[in-house]
Parts: sequence; structure tokens; C-alpha cells
Amino acid sequence: MGILADIFEYKCPCCGGAINFDPNAQKMKCPYCDSEFDPNAFLEQDKRLDEQTPDEFNWNEKVGQQWESGEQESMNVFICNSCGGEIIGDENTAATECPYCGNQVVLSGRLSGVLKPDYVIPFKFDKKAAKEKLKSYVRKKWFAPSSFKSENKLEEIKGIYVPFWLFDSDTDAAVSYKATTVRRWSDSRYNYTETSYFDVYREGSMRFENIPVDGSSQMPDDLMESIEPFDFKEAVDFNTAYLAGYLADKYDVGVDDSINRANNRVIESAGDVLRTTITHPYHTVTPISSSVQVHNGRAKYALYPVWLLNTDYRGKKYTFAMNGQTGKFVGNLPLDIKKVAALFTGLTFGIGIVVYILGTIFGAF
Amino acid sequence: MKKVLSFLFVIVIISTLCAPAFSAADARVIDDASLLSDSELTSLTSKLDEISERQDFDVVVVTTNTLDGKSAMEYADDYYDYNNYRYDGCLLLVSMEDRDWWISTKGYGITALTDYGISYIGDEIVDYLSDAEYFEAFEKYSGLIDNFVTEAKNDAPYDTNHEPKSASDIILAVVISLIVGLVIAIIVTLVLRSRYKPVRLKKEANDYFVNGSLILRRSFDHFIYSHVTRERKSDNSNGSGSSTHTSSSGSIHGGGGGKF
Repeated sequence: MGILADIFEYKCPCCGGAINFDPNAQKMKCPYCDSEFDPNAFLEQDKRLDEQTPDEFNWNEKVGQQWESGEQESMNVFICNSCGGEIIGDENTAATECPYCGNQVVLSGRLSGVLKPDYVIPFKFDKKAAKEKLKSYVRKKWFAPSSFKSENKLEEIKGIYVPFWLFDSDTDAAVSYKATTVRRWSDSRYNYTETSYFDVYREGSMRFENIPVDGSSQMPDDLMESIEPFDFKEAVDFNTAYLAGYLADKYDVGVDDSINRANNRVIESAGDVLRTTITHPYHTVTPISSSVQVHNGRAKYALYPVWLLNTDYRGKKYTFAMNGQTGKFVGNLPLDIKKVAALFTGLTFGIGIVVYILGTIFGAF
Repeated sequence: MKKVLSFLFVIVIISTLCAPAFSAADARVIDDASLLSDSELTSLTSKLDEISERQDFDVVVVTTNTLDGKSAMEYADDYYDYNNYRYDGCLLLVSMEDRDWWISTKGYGITALTDYGISYIGDEIVDYLSDAEYFEAFEKYSGLIDNFVTEAKNDAPYDTNHEPKSASDIILAVVISLIVGLVIAIIVTLVLRSRYKPVRLKKEANDYFVNGSLILRRSFDHFIYSHVTRERKSDNSNGSGSSTHTSSSGSIHGGGGGKF
């Protein structure tokens, strides 16, 4: 497995210690002298460097931005020994661990050739909150093996900014439905059922904004889509200051390869949206045919906050992810076969006995 | 006056003392055809006595070699009427003359043993009678009567709408119950498994729909046609009940029988 992540470090202007972005205060905070700074202060600092940089590097007009020259040159690329992927970190960052596989990474060279994100959603949940979420997520799962629960290495949960392509789409959709209503009545001898058939049609346009598609091939798409939604309203202009103390992945799947994933979801949703306009209480509504056209506008490149933990259990890898903005926590868990078998047997006989007793009482048998 | 009162008192005492003696005096197994051994006779008598006293319902078995020119029904009815049995009861007659069996019912017996019930009991015992296993037939009969009277008192008489359960009915009910349990267990387990595997791709993008952005350009709901189907209501079946007749003594009996 490959890996790309950035590690940024800012020095405290007061004491020179490494400072982090604090999700609770939404500010840069120095852990040594407790000084707090507005992340924009660091942006100003970056801007000044930027003023010396000509604009001619804007080779991609559609999406992303060019890095400020100062930013890019101060970043190193590390390679993961185990999965061969790359991590980005700033020049002050020593070798670190791969957030996916936990193995050591080694220095390989300077960052080049990738775009700077347009937006970032800062972390709102810190590591402590992420650990708590994981604990309560696992604690409630009775049917997970007890040994799995106790073996979790909570400390290794890592905050990582995941690269997403954000797509907007203006969508035209038309759907034909067959709908029915059913009326029943009876007289002394017969029960009557009247079924009425309707031809229902809906055509309209609608807009979807900021559908995220994970731009990292190392990050499983299903895991990222499972911690959705992200609320783009809380995104801010990208500023490397927000990344301090976290890892950051960079995209390796292009916009063009990602757009179909977004459009497929839009096509599915367009039908759902039109379906909500059928307000008559039909008995059944069945789509017969539909056509959807999707018009994409400019895509955006954004980093979204994710807490990530990898665990091995009996030779199988389990990855947990938490949405760093909403706190939504997901992850597949192993099932304890013995506990499930006990549940299955208990239900079969328990419900069997109840059904038999009720059936006997109410004369069904 | 005092004499009259004490006379009446004595009458009352005597009749109270005699009443149980009367019914006890008449045996509940009359084996004129000598189909049973002495030990079988004793065993059957004590069983019928026990049931009859417990249920307050006389259960009688009569065997005979001749019907004296009566029909089996008449013979059975008359035997019950003229031998001081309770008002409520039933009598199984087995006649070797023409190999007839007949169950005569009276009072609560008519209620508890419907036409359906009598033919059910007949089906259960006729094979034993045919094979000359009379004791087994009478044992079966007494057990079934006990069961039928109990069911009639506690719930409703066995009838076409309330049939007694056979062993295979019970096995079927157990199997159906277990299948229901099994299906529910499978569903619960599948739901559990999907709860433990929550990571999956999202099919839709409903979260990113811009509220209020929908502009409907064309929209219609056209009625096409309708059709009506009708179904005959199922009859709420009542049981067939019991048919009755009047015996030579003028009392009302139910009953049924056949050959063996």
C-alpha cells in the first residue's frame, strides 16, 4: 500500500517550540508556553513570501492552486518502507510512521508536482475525542470478540487530512412512474378490490454542491463515503497552518478519474429528489424510465479531516475512521462466531417456543 | 304435624343416602357377551367409575349377543334410560349379533359428543373391535370420552370447526414454530452482520442536494384505468353440532355407530 501525507510544523514566535492547530480553540496553540495565534497570522507570513512569486505557474485553471514557493521548498517527501508510498512533511519533521500501515518512513527528497488545496475543513475533534469515540464504538458491540476489544491500540489513532475532489453539478432529470391506488370494500357476499393505475411524470432541474470524492488511492473509497457527510460551509481557504500537528495525504487520483463516482451518485439522487415531489398517497410507485443529464462545473480540491486507526486482528486488517468534522465513527468489526451461534440458536428456539405457545392459545394450530 | 315433619325428614335422609347408592348400584361395564376377562372387567370398571365420578358424567360400556329385535340405537338408548344412570352421560354398545357398535349420548353427552366427535371416536376404536381387541377398544373409548368431556367443559366440544389434535398435528405445529424462529434468527443475524460491516459505498448524494434548487418543469399524474376484482367471503364455519332423536322412554338422545 502506498502512502502520501504531509507533516507541517510551525515554530512558536514566543518560545520557538513546535506549535499545533488546536481543534477546540480553532487556533494555533503552543503546548509549551500556551500562547495562542490566529491561523491567518501565519497566512500573512506566507503571503509575504508569495508576493515575490510570479503567477505563471498557474498551469491548472480548473482546480487547485500552485503552492507558494516557500511552502513547497520547505517540504520533504518520505517513503514508507512497507507499502512504498510517499508522505510529505516539512523540513523540520523527522521521519515518522506511516498512518496506514504503521511502518517507518524514510526521507526521499523534496515535494514537487502536486497542487495546493483550495480549501480545508479544520479538525473539530481532537485526539482525545477520537479515542473516546473509538472506545464507545467498540464497547457497544457485544458480538465482537472480547480479545479484539482489549487489543486495540488506541494511542496509534492518527489525524490525517484526506484529499478530496469536490464536484458541483447542475442536473436535469426526467422520470416516468407507474403508480397505483387500491380501494377495498365488501358487501354481504363479496370482498372487492379496486386497483387504479396512473401515469406519473416528473421533469426538472436541481443542483448538487461539493460532492466529495476521495482523491487518494491509498484511502479506501467505501470508508471515506461511510463517514460522510462533510459540511462544506465550514471549509476555509487552505492555509498550511491548519495542518500543524496532523498528517496530510495528497491526491494521486486525478479529477477526471473521480468525476464519474460523483456523477453516479447524482444520478441516483436525482431520482430520489423527483420522487419526493410525488405527494399523492399512492399505494405503489414504480419508476419505469428515467433520464438524467449532469453538467459539472468547476471542481475544487480540498482537505477534509479524518481520524484513522489501523488494527490487525488474527491476520486481518481492520481500519476505523472518524469524520474529524462531525465525529461520525465507522469501521468494520470482526464477529465472534461463538456469540453469534449462541444468539442464532437462542433466537430459533426462543421464538419457536413463543410462536408455538401463542399459536396454541389463539388456535392457529 | 310433628310426625309429618319427622316422616318427611326420614324420607329426605333415606333418599340422600340412597341417591349415590342407586347410581353406584348400576355397573358401568355390562359384559353380557363375555368379551372381557375378569381382570379386564375389573380394570375397566374402576377406570369408568373414576372418570364418571370425576366428570359427573356416566361413561358406560355394554356388550350383548342379542339386540332383542331392537336396533342398536334403540337398545343403547333404552339400556341407558332404564338403568338409573345420571342424566348426563354416554353409553357404548357392542352387539355381537350383527357386529354393531353404537354410542348413545344423553344430556351433557349430547353437547360434548357431537356427530363429528362420535364418528371420530368410532374411527379410533373400530379397528380394535374388528380385531377382537375389545379391552383395548374400551380403554381407548374411555380415554377419549374423558378427553372430549374435559375439552367441552374447558373450551368447546370437539367438532368440525374444533378438531382434536393428533400427534402429527402437534409435530407440524412444532416444525412450523421452529421454522418461524429460524427465519427470524437468520434475519436478525444478517442485520447484525451488516451492523458490524457498516463500511460501504454510498449510492446517492442526497446530502449535497442544494435545498430549494429543484425547479419542476413538467409534472403530471394521469389516471389511466382501474379494475375491480371480487372474492367470495369465506364462510365462517360453525360446527355441525349434534343430531338428536327421542327414545322409547321419551328422553332425548344423540348418538352414532356402525359395523365392525
